[in-house]
Amino acid sequence: MGIVNISHRDLMSVESPGRYVGGEPNQCIKQEVIDSIVNTGSCKEVRTAFCFPDVYEIGMSNLAMQILYNCLNSLDYVYCERAFAPWLDMCNLMREKNIPLYTLETKSALFDFDIVAFTLGYEMCYTNVLLMLDLGKIPLLSKDRTDKDPIVICGGPVTYNIEPMCDFFDAVMMGEGEESILEVAEVIKKYKDSGKQSRKEVLKALSKIEGVYIPSFYEAVFSDKEGEKTYYTEAYSRIKKEDGTVEEVPVTFKGVAPVQTGLRKLEPEAPDVITKRIIKDLDNVLYPTDPIVPNNGIVHDRAYLEIFRGCIRGCRFCQAGFIYRPVREKSPDTLCKQGIAIEHNTGYDELGILSLSSSDYTGLKELTDGLLDAFEGRHSSLSLPSLRIDNFALDLMEKVSSTRKSGLTFAPEAGTQRLRDVINKGITEEDIMASLKLAFTGGWNTVKLYFMLGLPTETMEDVEGIALLARKIEQLYFDTARELGIKARKPEITVSTSMYIPKPFTPFQWERQNCKEEFLKKQSYLRSLLKSKNIKYNWHDVESSLWEVVLARGDRRLNKVLLEGYQSGLTYDAWDDQFKFDTWMSLLEKNGLSWETYARNYDTDEVLPWDHISVGVRKDFLLSEKKKAYDETVTPNCRVKCSGCGATCFKVGECVASR
Amino acid sequence: MTMQKHQKQYVQRAVFTRKGALSYIGHLDLMRTFERAIRRAELPILYSQGYNPRPMMVFALPLGVGIHTEGDVVDVPMSVPVDPDEFISKVNAELPVDLKILSSISIPEPKDSLMSIVAAADYRIEANGIGTVASKILDFEEVITTKKSKGKIITVDIRDLILDVNTIDDDSIVLKVAAGSSKNLRPDVFMNALCSSVNYDKESALDATVTRTALYCNCEGKLVGIA
Repeated sequence: MGIVNISHRDLMSVESPGRYVGGEPNQCIKQEVIDSIVNTGSCKEVRTAFCFPDVYEIGMSNLAMQILYNCLNSLDYVYCERAFAPWLDMCNLMREKNIPLYTLETKSALFDFDIVAFTLGYEMCYTNVLLMLDLGKIPLLSKDRTDKDPIVICGGPVTYNIEPMCDFFDAVMMGEGEESILEVAEVIKKYKDSGKQSRKEVLKALSKIEGVYIPSFYEAVFSDKEGEKTYYTEAYSRIKKEDGTVEEVPVTFKGVAPVQTGLRKLEPEAPDVITKRIIKDLDNVLYPTDPIVPNNGIVHDRAYLEIFRGCIRGCRFCQAGFIYRPVREKSPDTLCKQGIAIEHNTGYDELGILSLSSSDYTGLKELTDGLLDAFEGRHSSLSLPSLRIDNFALDLMEKVSSTRKSGLTFAPEAGTQRLRDVINKGITEEDIMASLKLAFTGGWNTVKLYFMLGLPTETMEDVEGIALLARKIEQLYFDTARELGIKARKPEITVSTSMYIPKPFTPFQWERQNCKEEFLKKQSYLRSLLKSKNIKYNWHDVESSLWEVVLARGDRRLNKVLLEGYQSGLTYDAWDDQFKFDTWMSLLEKNGLSWETYARNYDTDEVLPWDHISVGVRKDFLLSEKKKAYDETVTPNCRVKCSGCGATCFKVGECVASR
Repeated sequence: MTMQKHQKQYVQRAVFTRKGALSYIGHLDLMRTFERAIRRAELPILYSQGYNPRPMMVFALPLGVGIHTEGDVVDVPMSVPVDPDEFISKVNAELPVDLKILSSISIPEPKDSLMSIVAAADYRIEANGIGTVASKILDFEEVITTKKSKGKIITVDIRDLILDVNTIDDDSIVLKVAAGSSKNLRPDVFMNALCSSVNYDKESALDATVTRTALYCNCEGKLVGIA
């Protein structure tokens, strides 16, 4: 039994020890289970360690974790606890003193759990998964685990292409987890009750659950141009010979990295296609109204209210816009009740309204009126990100903001109308100018503008368009002040650019990524054009975007690369000061791969590593959207006209409403 | 901006303890934890004026990370009178298990802020063998040690900040030090000084557990316990 007793001295020797102690209001304590663990070393309940592969302050800001923690703990036969990645100082201490990674609730070592579940929100957290498994003393590779090891599962938006990490997980849950996590828990309960006879059998049972993918039941097939083949079933690229022996083979064929040409089932009963799960009725699914309130300050220290899932817009670069379809709203009535309960149960003075595009929520006025009424006199407020700026929004922002007028945020994404049409960003320069005119008239003077560099078809003219737009906005500010006959303050305009990363399940999933030189050239060109002292230019690091595309569109060969990266000490890739681009590139090279292997233009008839996963949106729809992008033709949003993307297969939400 | 009329305050002066997990958070986090508990308890706490109103609470003295307390004091101003027993039970029901209000009294709005009257504090320090050497430090005329101040390491004489060392047994002492906004001695600085002045073992110093046991104000030249 692994109950960790971490000493006062050890806690005092690390930064922010409050990360490692738990004890927050609303954390789940199942005393009978704890007593049983302490007295007998075990319990009959399914013990789940819910893991977030980053530090406490980031993980506790994650809504998925709070939701699923509550779902699992709502079952009396499950006890779910939390674990986070320890920061580097704590990692060193744990290694030095042989302290296993433990959960905050009972301080139990990860290896003692029946289920170890990860939520994966971004690709750059992959090495931290390995870090947590390693510190938790769990074999890293699924194939090396035995019946006494936990079942390691994951879910979250990046798992739709989990191939680069698939050797480390026993099961992967596609889509929204509120219902499927309970089905998984039920299967594990039976497995535990039966004395954990066969790991293979429990994986088979899990594969019967809709939306659950068992990577080890498949192997990827790769071929070079001559059609030679090799099979990848595990982290080490080996060929299985007919007599059952295994031979190591080089990954590179004649100097050219082969491409994936298929996925072969090793288990006849495994499904050909795994379709993501969705929650059909968001009004009647558990939503935590008593989330854990951290004692130690976290990144987003507020309560959250999720108002709908999906997005009607269909911007062609945006993965979230496709993978969360169809759009499903919660009713304002449900939301008001939940919002009021959350504010009461947490003591937070700020409730964040969460969705991909708050302005598209049909009940926004009813909801915000209801909540603001309820919060009257309680010194509580709302925060509303992703609002489209119009009269209603400005009025609302005025009402909710207790502080001075905060900045306005726009995401035109591209500098010219041509490119905005290519990416299907349903926003015109007139829209932006009209919104800003309203805002400037209302006294706002701080504007943040977000753009991407390296979008498909982008030219230097489009890059220049970003600067022109920023300057027009600067001019509009002074013109508006003159019209109003007031003395202009200084406008503060911030232009931020990120690097475009083509992602799976978008119309641009086949597109090449710009290379480092192209990105740098565009950044420096833009910098030379944005010299006004009223305009500030922020740019992102190029190299992390180059690595992210590899992980986002990667295949099974990357498991070995990630493992070697972790073994050579790489973790916390999402943290700029820890990210080691050159090491990753040399590890790719060592394995016969390169950035180009994954950043290149993919043929549209090529097998994609994520082809066996379905998010509802069909591949032929994505292809037709890609063609429309090159024709600079826009696709209307879901409410204007159904574009027939395929998400109707779920028979709910906007798909039903608009028919 | 219009001047806000001063609102009448009904103050609860509460004595609280902290231990376990809650000892590892910083002072700002501790304040926020109290704020949220009082908000959850639906008590009529007063808010500061201005752009960003915060619940008005005054802690006597910040508690360093890792330090437990058996008797810290906080003033919580309310807009209407609240019965102390009701205050204690409602807030304790909402506080995390490792924080607890021991007692509370209703006081009139204090003329001087609670923070400004703190003059001294007692710390119980439990560490291997500390009782056998610590009181020797009182024989020194000066105790020179280093501490971090504004990012720089400076040398200071802390002798006159050490008011008393009371030996309980071989492994524990009660240290009385100057505390508050003008003169303040942190227990970790004292421990460093103990290592350098009386050769106390550095390893044992790292294992020390520190508990604040009392806070004092200066009343006509004498130290009097607060609350």
